[in-house]
Amino acid sequence: MTELSRRGFLGGLLAGGGALVLAACGGGARGAQTLRIQHADQTGELVANLYISVLPTGRVALVVNKAEIGQGVTTGYATMVADEIGVPLDHVDVLFAGANAALRTSANMQITGGSTSTMEAFVPLRQAAASAREMLIAAAAEQWRVPVTLCRAVDGHVEHLADKLSFGELTKHAARMPVPASPRLKTAKEFTLIGKVDRRIDARAKVDGTAQFGIDVSVPNMVNAFAIHGPVYGAKPLTVTADAAKARPGVLAVIAMPWGVAIVADKFWQARAAAADVRITWDKGLVAGLDTTKMRDALRAHDGTGEGQVSKHDGNAADALADADVTIGGVYEAPYLAHATLEPQNATVAVSGGRAEVWAPTQSPTLVQAFVANALGIDMEHVTVHVTLCGGGFGRRAIADVCAQAAMIAAHVKRPVKLTWTRESDMTQAWYRPIYSVKVEGALRGGKVTGARIHAVSQSIALSGKTLFGAALSKLPGPVVDMVTNAALALFSTSSFGDIFATEGIANSPYQLGNFELSSEPVQTKLPVAFWRSVGNSVTGFVMEGFIDELAVAAKQDPFALRRQLLPPNSKQTRVLDALAKLSGWATPPGTGIGRGMARHFAFETECAQVVELSVVRDRIRVHRVYCVVDCGLAINPDIVKAQMEGAIIFGLSAALDQEITLVNGVVQQRNYDTFPLLRMHECPEIIVEILPSDAPPSGVGEPGLPPIAPAVANALFALTNVRLRRLPLHRAWAERGAA
Amino acid sequence: MKLVVNGNSYEVPCPADTPLLWALREEVGLTGTKFGCGKALCGACTVHVDGEPKRSCVTPCGDVVDKAIITIEGLVRDSVLHPVQQAWVEENVPQCGYCQAGQIMTAVVLLRAKPQPTDAEIDDAMSANLCRCGTYPRIRKTVHRAAELLAAAPPAVTK
Repeated sequence: MTELSRRGFLGGLLAGGGALVLAACGGGARGAQTLRIQHADQTGELVANLYISVLPTGRVALVVNKAEIGQGVTTGYATMVADEIGVPLDHVDVLFAGANAALRTSANMQITGGSTSTMEAFVPLRQAAASAREMLIAAAAEQWRVPVTLCRAVDGHVEHLADKLSFGELTKHAARMPVPASPRLKTAKEFTLIGKVDRRIDARAKVDGTAQFGIDVSVPNMVNAFAIHGPVYGAKPLTVTADAAKARPGVLAVIAMPWGVAIVADKFWQARAAAADVRITWDKGLVAGLDTTKMRDALRAHDGTGEGQVSKHDGNAADALADADVTIGGVYEAPYLAHATLEPQNATVAVSGGRAEVWAPTQSPTLVQAFVANALGIDMEHVTVHVTLCGGGFGRRAIADVCAQAAMIAAHVKRPVKLTWTRESDMTQAWYRPIYSVKVEGALRGGKVTGARIHAVSQSIALSGKTLFGAALSKLPGPVVDMVTNAALALFSTSSFGDIFATEGIANSPYQLGNFELSSEPVQTKLPVAFWRSVGNSVTGFVMEGFIDELAVAAKQDPFALRRQLLPPNSKQTRVLDALAKLSGWATPPGTGIGRGMARHFAFETECAQVVELSVVRDRIRVHRVYCVVDCGLAINPDIVKAQMEGAIIFGLSAALDQEITLVNGVVQQRNYDTFPLLRMHECPEIIVEILPSDAPPSGVGEPGLPPIAPAVANALFALTNVRLRRLPLHRAWAERGAA
Repeated sequence: MKLVVNGNSYEVPCPADTPLLWALREEVGLTGTKFGCGKALCGACTVHVDGEPKRSCVTPCGDVVDKAIITIEGLVRDSVLHPVQQAWVEENVPQCGYCQAGQIMTAVVLLRAKPQPTDAEIDDAMSANLCRCGTYPRIRKTVHRAAELLAAAPPAVTK
């Protein structure tokens, strides 16, 4: 089926209806059935609803309105659909949805984030598949003149006794069947694929070189662009000298843009080579003078306890601290971080007649529409988006700045343009994980924890996001800006915006600490900050679990035993913790020279706990083994859940040990993987994952494995060395221990 | 300039100092080899030149004229995956998949030199290839599986 015929048909189908949820019944619109029948007669295709079509070959076409960023969403969605409709997994073909208002299933956005994809789709996507199945069964039953209840769908066929018709043979007839109002979903006992499939549908294309990422896009008449961004974020070029560059073979234009300089050539290698011949002077940029060392000192020196927004106030923490016989605490700190997706940011855009067409590796087609519409001064609805595979996401690809830049270049040269950022641009323009400084105080009396007070200061994603998005979307009407900003922020939060990201993971902590006060204050700079794998939890997990470990030391208790005491009894938390103690052999002391630490965190509705075993060799922390237990509800594909735990642990370990983005006089100091290191294979620990069996609906998987790793390492390091590190990255904190 | 890629000859119009990566992607039209860092730091662009792993992002075209260049696409013969690729599929190695061509190209050379590598030898050979998704534990395991597959059925060699 061509995308065009599909879009045309779906457009008509939705004309009178407009399903805002994953609709099982795309046929709600008047005239939809007539259209469906016409389409089936012409093409043989049963377009059951927005998501599911059955082709005359018997294959099932599944529209996925999420980005495949490696988390396995295409396999997960295909598995749910194949199981429910009754076909083998390899009969499902995935098509990525373009931008489509009817497919805005996440807070009025099309966006992949907040570990929501499986949670969000678990019921509605299976309803969509079940609806198609019931239409196919109804068609067969009518042909055989038997009750539908005697027919069943198995392996791409409808069967009744010895009679058997393939799905492909039934599509035209099925298009004439009414759309079921409430199709029956399979029970867990009937699942044949969900919870059982142990492979990925995208593996082959990702090992034979055929997988098409954004950077691989090629469209007719396309030219290529190389971007030079200024030394300071937001710097505008003042003068551009490019005569020699323009004279180079293949070079079509050198353009001064508000965000940098674009060199356009037939081929990227020509544009890249010409960059050596371009001389630019820059204005001072948006963050001139920003210095993260000074910023850190100022945040540490600021005692804002009791100021700012109070997120939680149980009992009287001040009295508990005053009455304590032991108080503990300190300031936990975390730096800015880049996503460093291995595929640099890129986008291909064609512009003509007030419309734009975009091909991009994006986590949000809606935000692509907003950014591109804004850049060109056109309507969002006039931006068509094609979503490609993404070479990593981690939150970075929710922001469509590169699409806006490509659109501006395309409008200028009046040809389709593919803009590919260098690694250096990718790292210095990253919409970073914010910097945090969190003061914690704990009170103990008679060896018991009696209270805690926490004050979190961070660059606010919510406030900066609104300001930065607002500036980035200045030409869009105010309500549209509010819509996209609020929706993007809401996806990652559970209550009002405020400074939700500063305190998520603390405000909803399951620990019962008695008297407890939590407050936060935002810091704002013009350095853009946004979503980075697990967002606020990437810091608050470190804070809470380091703090709990400190409490255990002060209370002279085993860290496992104290957690067990402070967590609600018979909870998801204690079940995971008990399983972890067993898996890691917690009751048996670790070997000589090995430090062992524990941490847990609840985020994205999933509980995850980890034990780390490490040693220190020549001032380097060497993590040997990580035990991980996770309760993520029903695991659709257990091996992908395991892979996400492994991946989040390694991603989190890279950050915990070595990564930081620092600025000196406004200039980001890290520009490539030599200065922003990723963990390498020889540094990678053995990782043992246990997924707790569960009948609960699926919860988040892509992010919850990350928050526990940094504190588990810091706690293990304390167990080994008696040195408490409260600052990330740990290798810097270790090197500078005693200095602060 | 003549490049011999996966057994086929291509005349490419690039100057001698153009990185091989971009000649492969833009002139030969093979996009399986990926751009990651441009500084030989990540290994996503790894190809074979006369049987040795090379970082194509810093390898000038002029240095590899008439040499045998193999890319990820060249490991596939008549739609049949190379045993190393096959092992990668069996063990569900890829997540986003972007670095995997480079990982596989590095592993193929390792297994040629050391048909039964130890974990330490795998770490030594593979540690220069970055993966942002964190597929390292699987890669380590899968190189062993690939060694088994290769021992059972060695692939034909592309000239």
